[in-house]
Amino acid sequence: MKEVRLEPEEMSEKKLEKTCPTCFEVPIGPIHPALKEGIRFTFWVEGEKIKKVDIRPGFMHRGIEFMGTKRNLVQLIYLAERICGICSVSHPLALVQAVEEAAGIEVPPRAQYIRVIIGELERIHSHLLWAGVAAHELGFDTLLHYVWKVREPVLDLLEDITGNRIDYAIPIYGGVRRDIPPEKYPKLKDALRYYRSLVDDFVNFFLRDPSIEARTRDVGILTREEADVLCAVGPTARASGLRKDVRQDWPYFTYPDLEVKALTPEDMGLEVRGDVYDRIVVRLLEVVQSIQIIERCLEEMPEGEITSVPKVAALLAQLKKAEGEGIGRHEAPRGEVIHYIRLEADKEAPVVWKVKAPTYSNFMPWFPMFEDQEIADIPIVAASIDPCICCMERVYLVRGEREEVVWKEELLRLSREKTKRVASRLARHAPWGRKG
Amino acid sequence: MRAQEVLEALKEKLGDKLRSPELKVEEIGHRRIRERGFLWAEIEREDLLEAVRALKELGPLHISIISGADVGEKIELIYHFAVGYGTPDGEVMVNLRLTVPKDDPVVPSICSVLPGALTTEREKIEFLGVEFSGIPDARKIFLPDDLEAHPWRKDEPELSQYVRYTVAWEAKKDERGEARA
Repeated sequence: MKEVRLEPEEMSEKKLEKTCPTCFEVPIGPIHPALKEGIRFTFWVEGEKIKKVDIRPGFMHRGIEFMGTKRNLVQLIYLAERICGICSVSHPLALVQAVEEAAGIEVPPRAQYIRVIIGELERIHSHLLWAGVAAHELGFDTLLHYVWKVREPVLDLLEDITGNRIDYAIPIYGGVRRDIPPEKYPKLKDALRYYRSLVDDFVNFFLRDPSIEARTRDVGILTREEADVLCAVGPTARASGLRKDVRQDWPYFTYPDLEVKALTPEDMGLEVRGDVYDRIVVRLLEVVQSIQIIERCLEEMPEGEITSVPKVAALLAQLKKAEGEGIGRHEAPRGEVIHYIRLEADKEAPVVWKVKAPTYSNFMPWFPMFEDQEIADIPIVAASIDPCICCMERVYLVRGEREEVVWKEELLRLSREKTKRVASRLARHAPWGRKG
Repeated sequence: MRAQEVLEALKEKLGDKLRSPELKVEEIGHRRIRERGFLWAEIEREDLLEAVRALKELGPLHISIISGADVGEKIELIYHFAVGYGTPDGEVMVNLRLTVPKDDPVVPSICSVLPGALTTEREKIEFLGVEFSGIPDARKIFLPDDLEAHPWRKDEPELSQYVRYTVAWEAKKDERGEARA
């Protein structure tokens, strides 16, 4: 086992001067073309080799947990949804579990199946997005455009089912807000068939491509022991050979019925090395797994209610009386999400709300991954920071039977009108406006 | 692993040090019913490391998060562990609660047993003002280096000024028409 270094104090600049007088300090970030979000990496390099790394997050801190304690619980779902644009259903799914446990709210079976279906569709789109980013970081932009093109159908499907490409607003305490009617099953099945037919292509493009293999094999290694002691989660842990998956380990929703198994590269007949290549393998395997889970859900999903408390006013009244604490966990595409909540009677807002996202746990494993790597490998090793692409191109409206699409021009018109509205209001209130 | 087994093993190792343990077992699933276990217990800070070692002997140990709150005279920390990943339906959530007085907020760091806890311990230092003895790295992680306030503490005048400002700013949104526009 490689020694896990945890003493940045010891490796302070003075000591580094003594131990490695030829080291150069290379800062990357907070804003850098190789990164999609603000974070600062400081590398100490000797020649091309990274000797030590220090990582400073905190540039994206928004204080969401504080904001959450100023809102009522129904508003909190939509705030939780905005923690991450890519895992935008994972946080609400964990939150509703926590509140349901604290307040003792039951969830009908059909609602649990719908939650699973949306969660798994999200996993497909998130893994495809990641695959595109990984290809881009390797300088393989043709593959990036191909993967993001084939990611579109799953977003269209989510839009069709929920009304939104991201931020689906589906979970509510006690169930879900929108049913998947049987008329939509064929559309879902078609999309799943489409993705099944693409699996061979993905294996060819990603796993059998000599240049991708050369760039990712034995790069950014995280050993099994390191993944265990540093509490890695999600595909990062599984690529290191740990069979760790909340869906398998901890029963919630209908996952016990679906017999989900944590997948490692061994399931593809490969030896586990814990490198970037293995992380691609695990994510591709999980896309197939998600397809299977959704197919099984469509077969087994029972008829019935989709929520146990249909009226929001009644729900808020019930939640206001609730007292207690609860934990909700969900396996997001990138790993474990956990929400802890404490409710007090006669208070609409939660007293304590603690959120943990997967990257929080996968922060420590970054340190051993970077050690002894080359500078050119930094982007691909760091690529577990997914970018948040907001789909501003259009809005899809599903209102009753009617389906309409608002195109970019329309959005632009709306945006211009809003600017005009805001400007005129500002002029009315501004001191220079009053004079005239 | 069953929740009952975890509780018995912990009781055997820690004895009275594990205070007011509470076991909550729920049934999950529709076609195949599975048990899901939560264990809640209180512990003194002196016994924390021993408890974590005992948990680690029980099976693969994962720390999800340490959550915390300012509860008047004291600070409360809850360690959310998951014991026994890797086996289907075999994980048990163990939640250890400990309180420390505000004038002596020192807790032993568990990084020597579970290095993965470093991120969440660093977060608690800056957000709640607790200290972890023996922590390998006590620098700030999410907050600016020059911020001396602890955002989750309710007794800091400097911070409450920030909070008042933010809340007032949020409330004025309606007047400015931002919320509705």
